[in-house]
Amino acid sequence: MTERVQNLLSILQKREYRTWRVTNDLDINAEIKHLDRYHRDAYRFKIMLEHEKAVLFEGERIGFYRHAKDFPYYTRPEDGYISGWGFGNLTPNYERVLSQGLDAVLEEIREKRRTMDATHTSFLDALEMTVVAALALADRYREAAKAAHPELYGALGQVPHKPPRSFYEACVFMKFIIFTLRCNANVHLTIGRFDQYMLPYYQADLDRGVAREDLLDILEEFFVSVNFDTDLYQGMQQGDNGQSVVLGGYDANGHDAFNDLSMLCMEASMELNLIDPKINLRVNKETPFSLYLLGTHMTKQGLGFPQYSNDDVVIDGLVKLGYDYEDAVNYTVAACWEFIIPGCGADIPNFITMNFPKVVNDTLHAELEGCENYDQLWEKVAQAIRAECDALMEEANTKSQFSTCARQSPYLSLYIDGCLEKGLDFSDAAAKYNNYGCHGAGISNAADALAAVKKTVFEEKSIGKRELLDALERNFEGCEELRLRLLDCPKMGNNDDAVDDISIALMEIFSSYLNGKPNDRGGIFRAGTGSAMEYLLSASKVPATADGRRAFEPYASSFSPSLTARVNGPLSVLQSFTKFDMTKIINGGPLTIEIHDTTFRNEDGIEKVARLVQLFIRLKGHQLQINSINRDRLLDAQKHPEKYPNLIVRVWGWSGYFNELDLPYQNHIIRRAEFRA
Amino acid sequence: MENGIVFSIEEFATFDGPGIRSTVFLKGCPLRCMWCHNPEGQEFDAQYVRNPNGCLHCGRCLSSGTGELTQESVGACPRGLVRLCGETYTPRALTERLLKNASLLQAAGGGVTFSGGEPLSQPVFLKRCLDLMEGKLHRALQTSGYCEPTLFREILSRLDYVLFDLKLIDEAAHLHYTGVSNRWILENFTLLAKSRIPFVVRVPLIPGVTDTAENLTSIASLLRENGVSYAELLPYNKMAGGKYAMVGRDYTPTFDEHQAPASRPELFAAYGIDIKIL
Repeated sequence: MTERVQNLLSILQKREYRTWRVTNDLDINAEIKHLDRYHRDAYRFKIMLEHEKAVLFEGERIGFYRHAKDFPYYTRPEDGYISGWGFGNLTPNYERVLSQGLDAVLEEIREKRRTMDATHTSFLDALEMTVVAALALADRYREAAKAAHPELYGALGQVPHKPPRSFYEACVFMKFIIFTLRCNANVHLTIGRFDQYMLPYYQADLDRGVAREDLLDILEEFFVSVNFDTDLYQGMQQGDNGQSVVLGGYDANGHDAFNDLSMLCMEASMELNLIDPKINLRVNKETPFSLYLLGTHMTKQGLGFPQYSNDDVVIDGLVKLGYDYEDAVNYTVAACWEFIIPGCGADIPNFITMNFPKVVNDTLHAELEGCENYDQLWEKVAQAIRAECDALMEEANTKSQFSTCARQSPYLSLYIDGCLEKGLDFSDAAAKYNNYGCHGAGISNAADALAAVKKTVFEEKSIGKRELLDALERNFEGCEELRLRLLDCPKMGNNDDAVDDISIALMEIFSSYLNGKPNDRGGIFRAGTGSAMEYLLSASKVPATADGRRAFEPYASSFSPSLTARVNGPLSVLQSFTKFDMTKIINGGPLTIEIHDTTFRNEDGIEKVARLVQLFIRLKGHQLQINSINRDRLLDAQKHPEKYPNLIVRVWGWSGYFNELDLPYQNHIIRRAEFRA
Repeated sequence: MENGIVFSIEEFATFDGPGIRSTVFLKGCPLRCMWCHNPEGQEFDAQYVRNPNGCLHCGRCLSSGTGELTQESVGACPRGLVRLCGETYTPRALTERLLKNASLLQAAGGGVTFSGGEPLSQPVFLKRCLDLMEGKLHRALQTSGYCEPTLFREILSRLDYVLFDLKLIDEAAHLHYTGVSNRWILENFTLLAKSRIPFVVRVPLIPGVTDTAENLTSIASLLRENGVSYAELLPYNKMAGGKYAMVGRDYTPTFDEHQAPASRPELFAAYGIDIKIL
């Protein structure tokens, strides 16, 4: 790491720069009153950028940091919503803007303005306003860089007006795009296939004779720079900000496209040890074992990435949902783990959540006493899941008009294919894909609960129906022995068909019913295995369940064994969680496995963990999150946070500083199963 | 007695032989190594154990009045800290359980390792399991080498790999620190070295006990005599005493736990032996 990178890193880690920021508190209600819906958003963006001052650190080559903590705000007359959290959780089309430069984009907007009919005028004018405002900011940075930052001054003479001439200029352009989109209040925007769309610039530099290590320095400065303002990004918890890259994976011709720039990204990330950008690795049947080894070395660092996704399952699944192959093959991963299409997708992959344990529990309370055998109970559960799918789809179609997808965002639309071409904002469903994703939370808890009922109530008849329901209502108060018997039943994660078959049936009902149903934006619904924060939030409202889980306790995070399940170990877990045809339930949501950090202590252990990941991919698992974890260290960090200012952990689809997480999230991480080796 | 008592099965064992392995820990050991980190593996019978972490000291586990943990204690503990350690398996049941992972273990270049306790102390069960697994799983044994040599020969013929411990070469010292003589162990080591079974020698480095220049020289010399050119060293881990409270015992080693164990690579090098420190 060069001294320059080291300096930037220490500025970041001291966090002093955060105290220099200002609060503008700009109420622009009076000024936007007469504006149409496109111009309101564009105007706020313009005002936001006009108040930004150039922030440049010593030796800085990248630039674009937040000066103001807050957005100018106005209240939307339609629904009283105070602006500030816009659409996101997608991968913008950086590639197109990079390759054109904003001067050319501006020309294209003006050309459309001249040739399209008047219904498009307002949008196109608003769009022009945003691009002009963004360019003005870049010009101010250039002025500020003139005195002491010659390289940045030079770069800004070219980008963002014109296409980059080097990898360095492309990185400056990228940072400018990321910064301006975040200033437009767009959230959870991912960086996407950086190793693909940046490759031409990287390759051209190498061909010109630029040294690889110089390009690594630039990349590292870029990576450090995207970490500066993450505390201002909106998310459920700090760290939940969507700044992830996706490396490797098939190209348009179906060949694995992991390249030297992908490798450079891995090297930079391992050297820097920072939360952002988070790394997703796309792997497939062509992936060499060496990449699993490299990924496992990264896992060893304990940052909670890479997260793996299996091209051979995901692409197939997306095609089945109706995505064109050339789009599916280009998939990226959204802020957490949802599979999305860069550039042309405006899906909302995390819109609704099937709360599996609640549906099963409600059905037990309503129907168990009337059922004579398990098949009758199952029929009731299946009905309840279909009914809940209907209710959730209805909810999505109703709430969409109040959601971020209904909030105009001309500047964001610039980065979504189809919008400029059609002269439409993305909120007018101008994008190619406008699908809604439905998470499936607590699948393991729900399957475990049904397996326990099947065994104890119907097969062994060792627990009476009323007895079970009473125990659940009493949250097992005074029924500890009954709870132990429930805990002793088959649990998902042990490669036991008695319960795995139930999980398969749950996923089959859910996905076959929901997948492909139309939504109100011309798209469809898609089912997944994720939980996002619902493993805590939804679970905190659900009483005791028949898997032995006590009232309000969390579910497993995403697609993983429940916290109360005793599992044999990772090999059984891999098999339990790959029995279903995962192409049918491809909204996203990983199997998470925690491995004790001592396993990684030498090359031998690392190689075996890498083999484990490879096994999962061979078993046609869709997505894997594997973490190196040391429970004792986490417990100590809870007691002595001052000793661990930079301890980073994986939370659900993202990593965060342990100290900055709320207590329930910290506790969940500590409780997750550890496979000591 | 054909059935065996198992105190743990670790599915993803990464340090017990080649590839990803499932390690079966057989209960019971004739040795009493002062540094043993698996005290629950020493007794041959199943026993109730109580995890001290989180204990409320409410006494409910002892409500039977005998002062001992019983089956009732398991349900009585409000935190679920009491469990029965030691599960009886028929050879067929254990084999079936392990075979469920056979294709994964094979794909990852691994197999099954029998450890303990001392697996050679349940010879009938062990032989039967190894026979049932023949041709289906790569079979390894992790052993102190302590058993009657005729028996060792019989077991050896059923194995694909051996992890063999060498602790102390001096017989009196061996007797003092492990409770048994090392004569069988040394004889069995020679048998192993002459066999065609691939194996690795492991030496625990116990400060002031096994890590002395004299002992390690003797080990290195024995290895060279037997044509062995590689050994793995396991430095003493201060966590070794961690599980004694669980079985209701005190951990009282007479050596200095806090002294860093010496690995003496130069000494092994002088005998032409490559070492790896685990």
